[in-house]
Amino acid sequence: MSQSPVALAIVAAIVFGTILFALLAVRRIKMDPSQYIVGGRSFGTIFLWVLLAGEIYTTFTFLGIAGLSYSGGAPAFYVLAYGACGYAISYFITPAIWRVGKECNLLTGPDFFEARYNSRTLGIATAILYFLMVVPYVALQLSGLQILLRIAGYGAYNATASVCIAFLVLALFVFTAGLRGTAWASIVKDVLVLGAVAFAGIAIPVRFFGSPSAMFDRVTAAHPAILVLPTGSAFHGTVWFVSTVLLSGIGWSMGPHSFSATYSARSGDSLRRNAVLLPFYQAFVTLMIFAGLSAAMIVPGLKGTAVDQSFLLVVQHYYPSWILGLIVAAGALAALIPASALLLAGAAVITKNVAGDVFGIATGDAARTRLTRILVLVVALLALGFWLTGQRTVVELLLLYYNGIAQFAPGVFATFLWRRRATALGVGAGIAAGLAVAIPLAALNITPWGLNAGLVGLGANVATLVILSLIVRPRA
Amino acid sequence: MRSMLRLLLAAIPIAALSIAVPLVNRIEPRILGLPFLLCWIVAWVCLTPVFLWTIGRLEKRW
Repeated sequence: MSQSPVALAIVAAIVFGTILFALLAVRRIKMDPSQYIVGGRSFGTIFLWVLLAGEIYTTFTFLGIAGLSYSGGAPAFYVLAYGACGYAISYFITPAIWRVGKECNLLTGPDFFEARYNSRTLGIATAILYFLMVVPYVALQLSGLQILLRIAGYGAYNATASVCIAFLVLALFVFTAGLRGTAWASIVKDVLVLGAVAFAGIAIPVRFFGSPSAMFDRVTAAHPAILVLPTGSAFHGTVWFVSTVLLSGIGWSMGPHSFSATYSARSGDSLRRNAVLLPFYQAFVTLMIFAGLSAAMIVPGLKGTAVDQSFLLVVQHYYPSWILGLIVAAGALAALIPASALLLAGAAVITKNVAGDVFGIATGDAARTRLTRILVLVVALLALGFWLTGQRTVVELLLLYYNGIAQFAPGVFATFLWRRRATALGVGAGIAAGLAVAIPLAALNITPWGLNAGLVGLGANVATLVILSLIVRPRA
Repeated sequence: MRSMLRLLLAAIPIAALSIAVPLVNRIEPRILGLPFLLCWIVAWVCLTPVFLWTIGRLEKRW
């Protein structure tokens, strides 16, 4: 146990050092709502890159992908596939969203719905849904952080208090630094994460098997079926794979923080350049699959949620504590930095679309920045409370996020593809129908014909949108 | 015509990474040590930028 302070000290030094670095980087920036929430719409290709790349490398990358590779094998490949599909779609859709954001001076995702459908009601309804999705998604990052810190502490402590401290420091950081601070912190995070991913995916297979290729020989010999998908409608089979890739690709740019990142671009072309380049960066996720499969050979027998710790346990058992510290620090930043973007987007949605549009408070620039800052802290406390009280329901409500976020896509796409006919009523009812179908199916683990529940919901969503928009004409 | 071509260019990697997957769901032949399914997916993830870059060229953006 004498090792434990070394790893934890490295994690603490890197996390707090990164936050300090980002605070210093933004100390001269004067904050108005546009600067605070969407970085003054001034981010060029590189700044945008680190911000958007944050969405690829979250705590899910560190724990979930390796864990899914460990327990399931080939189904984990879907993460690689859907990101590339997401970028192929975002090449077209994000510059279009950006242009609307620039022309109408939009700050949040719900603003987009409100402006394009000329309906404040739709803006408010989407704002509330986005808010309900952000809280459990932030709470999930906290669960990931707790797993990481427990491993860095060599199981000697529970880490709940450390998670609370780290998260409150993060909330104060967002309070001060806004989206630009998140982008600066992402630079440090990306460098560390790439190093950690390369170590996990290359150094581990080389040390234990000689090469990644030899690792695959071992895996195929031990579990011949694990590197292909079950066929047809079986659990995690090919039907599930195809439908999940499509659903997740469609939902890729629809999260509340994705709208913030899109608005923050300097030009549509910086978004296009990122859509072209980011799949290369995403290809590195392959290494996490290597790490998870290696762990399945080195430390077999983990069950249930313990699989999320797979390759980290290998590092903990076989490598010096400073390496464990560096890797956990990268994972901790991968949990905290995306959480900071989510906090900001969640707070902005409430300030602008609920407080401002419903109650008419904090509509001036100074008041709006102040209220967003206060709400960052409120959202952080809510997420923390949610995490502390109901850790089991986090997983259930997470289904709301993954299946829910894609339900916003038809309404966004329709404003460009079907502008003259799509109505606010159709879009709103479509989202409601999509959620009403997808959430119960996902919660009860029902997969019709092996299809992803969210994609079934998306079908109901599009059908409702089209039928209602055609039948019910808005009063002129 | 040109906009159809652009959409087609984006649709090719999406189709290769989704509906084509059941057709390549196998381990052999191994390429560079990777099982065929994984190699197919990684290759198409790396080819996606080529398709998107070509669309940008057609639009005369770079």
